[in-house]
Amino acid sequence: MISETTFQPDNRQIVHMDLDTFFVSVERLQNSSLNGKPVIIGGLSDRGVVAGCSYEARTFGVHSAMPMRMARQLCPQAVYIRGDMDAYSRYSRVVTDIIAEKVPVYEKASIDEHYLDLTGMDRYFGCYKFSHELRQTIVRETGLPISFGLSVNKTVSKIATGEAKRGPQRELYVEANRVRPFLNPLSISRIPMLGPKTFRLLRSMGIEKIETLSLVPPEMMERVLGKNGIDLWRKANGIDLTPVERYHERKSIGSEQTFETDTTDMRFLNEWVVRITERLAFELRCRHKLTACITVKIRYADFDTHTIQKRIPYTSFDHVLIREAKELLQRLYKRRVLVRLLGVRFTHLVSGSQQLNLFEDTPEQVNLYLAMDRIRKRFGKEAVGRAAGFY
Amino acid sequence: MKFVVSSSELLSHLQAISRAISSKSQLPVLDCFLFDLKGTTLSITASDLEVTMTTSMETDSNDGDGKVALPSKMLLEILKKLPEQPLTIDVSMSSLVVDIISEKGKYNFVAQAGEDYPVIPGIDEDKASKLQVPTSLLLTGITKTLFATADDELRPVMNGILFEFSPNNLTFVASDSHKLVRYQRLDARSDFEASFILPKKPAGLLKNVLPRESGDVVIEFDHKNAFFNLPNYKLVCRLVEGNYPTYNAVIPQGNPNKAIVDRVDLANTLSRVSIFSNQASNLVKLHLSNDEMVVSAQDIDFSLSGFEKLKCQYEGDEMEIGFKSVFLSDILENISSGDIIIELSDPSRAAIVLPFDKNEDEDELMLIMPMMINA
Repeated sequence: MISETTFQPDNRQIVHMDLDTFFVSVERLQNSSLNGKPVIIGGLSDRGVVAGCSYEARTFGVHSAMPMRMARQLCPQAVYIRGDMDAYSRYSRVVTDIIAEKVPVYEKASIDEHYLDLTGMDRYFGCYKFSHELRQTIVRETGLPISFGLSVNKTVSKIATGEAKRGPQRELYVEANRVRPFLNPLSISRIPMLGPKTFRLLRSMGIEKIETLSLVPPEMMERVLGKNGIDLWRKANGIDLTPVERYHERKSIGSEQTFETDTTDMRFLNEWVVRITERLAFELRCRHKLTACITVKIRYADFDTHTIQKRIPYTSFDHVLIREAKELLQRLYKRRVLVRLLGVRFTHLVSGSQQLNLFEDTPEQVNLYLAMDRIRKRFGKEAVGRAAGFY
Repeated sequence: MKFVVSSSELLSHLQAISRAISSKSQLPVLDCFLFDLKGTTLSITASDLEVTMTTSMETDSNDGDGKVALPSKMLLEILKKLPEQPLTIDVSMSSLVVDIISEKGKYNFVAQAGEDYPVIPGIDEDKASKLQVPTSLLLTGITKTLFATADDELRPVMNGILFEFSPNNLTFVASDSHKLVRYQRLDARSDFEASFILPKKPAGLLKNVLPRESGDVVIEFDHKNAFFNLPNYKLVCRLVEGNYPTYNAVIPQGNPNKAIVDRVDLANTLSRVSIFSNQASNLVKLHLSNDEMVVSAQDIDFSLSGFEKLKCQYEGDEMEIGFKSVFLSDILENISSGDIIIELSDPSRAAIVLPFDKNEDEDELMLIMPMMINA
């Protein structure tokens, strides 16, 4: 696994742009009275988790992915907002549009993050100057605060953005010869994709700073963490060859929900499956995709989680998928224990159209789907659906 | 038991029936050919319990009758490698040791007792029906329909060809629910109404062996088995149980749009355009307007697209319909006519493909379900 490329230096110019407390910023744009107050966004029930919080809230120890109940205990005076995903994607798209206008190669990594490949642009503008002006433009045109890090690859840029957010400048340029000195004093927890488990393991090995990690022999990392270990070691040395990719193929679409209260009500669970499967099937058809594998996931109240999947002929029809999903749920729900979470997911996606079946698909049914999809596209996805899916 | 046969003649008989033997047989004895010698007539049987094929040949024999099961693989392999010559096959009925004596040497192996071989089912005379048709008719009926049978474990009835006998005609039907073929012969009539579903495997075996035969084939069947008696071969097979879907109800009637197009032109166009279709969905679109058909395909993921224009006679509304190109080319390959008629009603209803030049005694109809073209 340790080849020549492992040690190859990078001389690209990669920018990582990250919108600061994106959800909160959007809410503040729409309601200026939230400025300066601790704001927490997430599911409002006790089962919800924090999706985003302002810096004011962070001083109380609140962070994203924390259970809502805990956030309430830590910071009862915060403003709690349910969150409006549609508005967030809208603002995110505006930012992407501004970037797309100016940068040829970019990657939308998530709703609030973009990677830009500026390699070669330094000959004309100077990459740092260009990024700085781009950041100004975004702030001016959208009113959303944004930070960036500019360096030789995605990993270092992302770490640089994290550092940039701590300063007033909100931007940081780490030149190729300053990569090692920049990384060395930082904690290993700053490395992207290094989760709490790996962090604890490495800490127990006496590794605390990135410098220490970069000095560990890569063979040892491989022994301890497998292939992942080599990757981490490379990142610690400021090496990351992954390209900035404009487009990612969706591999699956799915949805899951933790219920307000745990339940054993089979009728309710079935109705939930109908509603979600119908919604996902609509999404499939919108993307001109067909699925060949359906997975149902169940989590009992004691966090015992099971999934079951089934291969099916390529389809995007509700009635086939709902039938399969219900059958899988029936087979999956074996313990007479309260259910906490259900999920449905379609994988093995291909793009294409549905082959009609001579004996099962009547033209009336096909036209019904087309009509329902037209209604949904015009009036929203909740506009029409099966009665079983409403409650 | 001891007899003398020509090596190549024996091989050709064995090869004709050997495909009845399954590669995953349920009983060890089913990996064998059953040799049954009566007087000078040797009948050889191969079976997988579902399908049994028997052939018979004349031999020189003067050493008594006998019944023994010989391992099929070894026998076929040695016969394939031997040049044409008379072979003496000598089986000791007590020890089951087989000696094959050729011009230059001797091969021996051990057989299995003939009594262990499963008994071939007989016909239930009370419920039996019988019909005699020319071999060529049966062959065309099977060839025309076999390609459209399904491979669906959940619906075994679709994995076979439906034979429907009536006083008016003999009908062959096959469908995998995406395409359907109905082939009727008006010159084969029976004085009764009956039907059975012939599974794929025996249909394939018949398709192989029928071209070698001439004359008539006698078809006998009861509620469980069908018997095909050819001049030199006999095939017994278990029928698929269950009811065939009511196929006539799904054939759309009164289609207002009609296109007449050269079959070979369309097939060639399709084979070129389909290269540019999405590999998973294989969707090609036919756009029909006045006297012109545009066949097009595209794959957005890889930025491929292609189209070709084709002359055709078209009466009806301008429309666009999508098909899976492999299904359509299967149909074009199996229809025998210079020009074909494509009848359509709307893009979500089945299209009917008919031959333009019709034989008097034949009625051929192929049907293909479209793919949904999202508007």
